[in-house]
Amino acid sequence: MTASVNALHPVAAYRRIAVFGGVYSNALALEATLEDARRREVEAVFCLGDMGGFGPHPDRVFPLLRAGAVLSLQGNYDESLASGRDDCGCGYTDPRDNHFARISYAYTFAHTSAENKAWLGSLPRHRRVQLGGSGVLMCHGSPRGVNEFLWESTTPNGLLRRLFRDHAADVILCTHTGIKWHRALPEGRHLVNVGAIGRPENDGSPRVWYTLLTAGAELEVEFVPVRYDQSMLARQMDAEGLPPEFSETIRTGWWTTCLESLPARERARGRF
Amino acid sequence: MRDMVPVLEARGTRVPSAPFVRFSTLWVQVTGTWCNLQCVHCLNASGPRDPWLKPLCAERVRHAIRESEALGVKDIYFTGGEPFLHREILLLLGFALAAAPTTVLTNGAAISEATIAALASLARDAPYSLEIRVSLDDVDPEGNDRVRGRGAWARAVRTIRRLHAHGLLPIVAATEDPGGEGQVGPGLYGRLRDFLVGLGIDKPRVKILPLFPVGRLASRGGDLLSEEMLDGFDRARLQCAEARVVADGGVYACPILAGLPGARLSAGDLEESFRPAPLSHPGCVTCYETGMTCRNA
Ligand SMILES: [Fe+2]
Repeated sequence: MTASVNALHPVAAYRRIAVFGGVYSNALALEATLEDARRREVEAVFCLGDMGGFGPHPDRVFPLLRAGAVLSLQGNYDESLASGRDDCGCGYTDPRDNHFARISYAYTFAHTSAENKAWLGSLPRHRRVQLGGSGVLMCHGSPRGVNEFLWESTTPNGLLRRLFRDHAADVILCTHTGIKWHRALPEGRHLVNVGAIGRPENDGSPRVWYTLLTAGAELEVEFVPVRYDQSMLARQMDAEGLPPEFSETIRTGWWTTCLESLPARERARGRF
Repeated sequence: MRDMVPVLEARGTRVPSAPFVRFSTLWVQVTGTWCNLQCVHCLNASGPRDPWLKPLCAERVRHAIRESEALGVKDIYFTGGEPFLHREILLLLGFALAAAPTTVLTNGAAISEATIAALASLARDAPYSLEIRVSLDDVDPEGNDRVRGRGAWARAVRTIRRLHAHGLLPIVAATEDPGGEGQVGPGLYGRLRDFLVGLGIDKPRVKILPLFPVGRLASRGGDLLSEEMLDGFDRARLQCAEARVVADGGVYACPILAGLPGARLSAGDLEESFRPAPLSHPGCVTCYETGMTCRNA
């Protein structure tokens, strides 16, 4: 264990935390997630970034994050919005993915207040906490890149060993791909992609997921499904003139866009 | 170090270089320039006779994969030439897949039904994703075969169908001339996508690559990169900042440079090749201008 990594900079210590990522302007799912986490008596709630994109009315998520005292990181989307970049920095290379990403980014940029953009700009890129005996590093994409995708089927153990070593962490938490997964390596090392609460994870169910982490003899990782009023969200998206492909995903749980960044194995599980 | 080839001399000014940021991608030039096709736009002038770059022996490939795994590689790509001409390709893909997600680039012309079934079982049992990228330059057989040789279209399409039938989700890769007539990108992309859907492929995957002024198109080669052109450009975005290629005779910065005199970064040791790569080739201009990546996404 590398619990003493931050001996010079003491970090906050917890026994039980809730962590999520990818809010994607889904205020309804965020509300449901925060309520669920509160019921489970977590000591703190963390968000690994990407507050906007995809969903309607981006400014609706910020009051919820503040009221819920959510400790947030800056994702690639947040960084782009805060710095006035002309694209979301999602790292897509496919023309169809980029077409939809541009629509979503232009809408989100136009509907996020200057004040909220400034707040996104003030967020940290990483955060370290202590969870029982484990030193935890939180990031958005990966510890080395805000828009690096860590998919389950394309993240080899050799790379994970290097990340744990280079970044002096026992546990790495990330998001950015939108699909949750967890892998335990020897000596108490864990990589947890906490998934996203803003968009279902391409499994044909409209529910979304967040992660509970509990310290103990062994770190306990539990993925928690969240149900919310997805029909209402889809209606709001349609009313805002967002592409019907987006609201279809919210209604059905199948991804219709951003498909080309999916590796073969993850792509095979979806419908499109 | 004795046998390192000197870097191409600059035309009066200093040759710019790309920093080595980290090791993410291993390319294996497994068959060198040995290929069953002889495409007019081939990046490294591959062909059926007398490959100027020799294939790698299986032990050399396994050594590179072991070395890469220890160095924390993120993904592995097999290219050539035509990788499926290598007698041990299935064993090597299996070996690579035990270490990292693996992609194999193929023209699809020499893959039997039995090989595809073996690939499907490899993909099912491997801990990581196996990607098969099939080159097809046009939805129209004539247009494709003008570039890739007679009969290439039919054989590639048959392979794409078979891969799909085995649940392997092939990525169809096409080359497009960025300076060519008409629309860049979306035109060809859309045509290929619609074509695949028409074949009954419900998860169409298309990758468009720009045409490089290298290999058989070397005569089109224009300027080289200069420090002035790169002023203000983030060189860490170039793929040679995080990839290395193992080919016969040494380690190189990218698949296009593999085997070229002056481009070798080490005689064989991967870690020794982790140093700035000279951007001294006309192909470097295409990477710089298009921001392209040879990776899948
Ligand atoms: Fe992201």
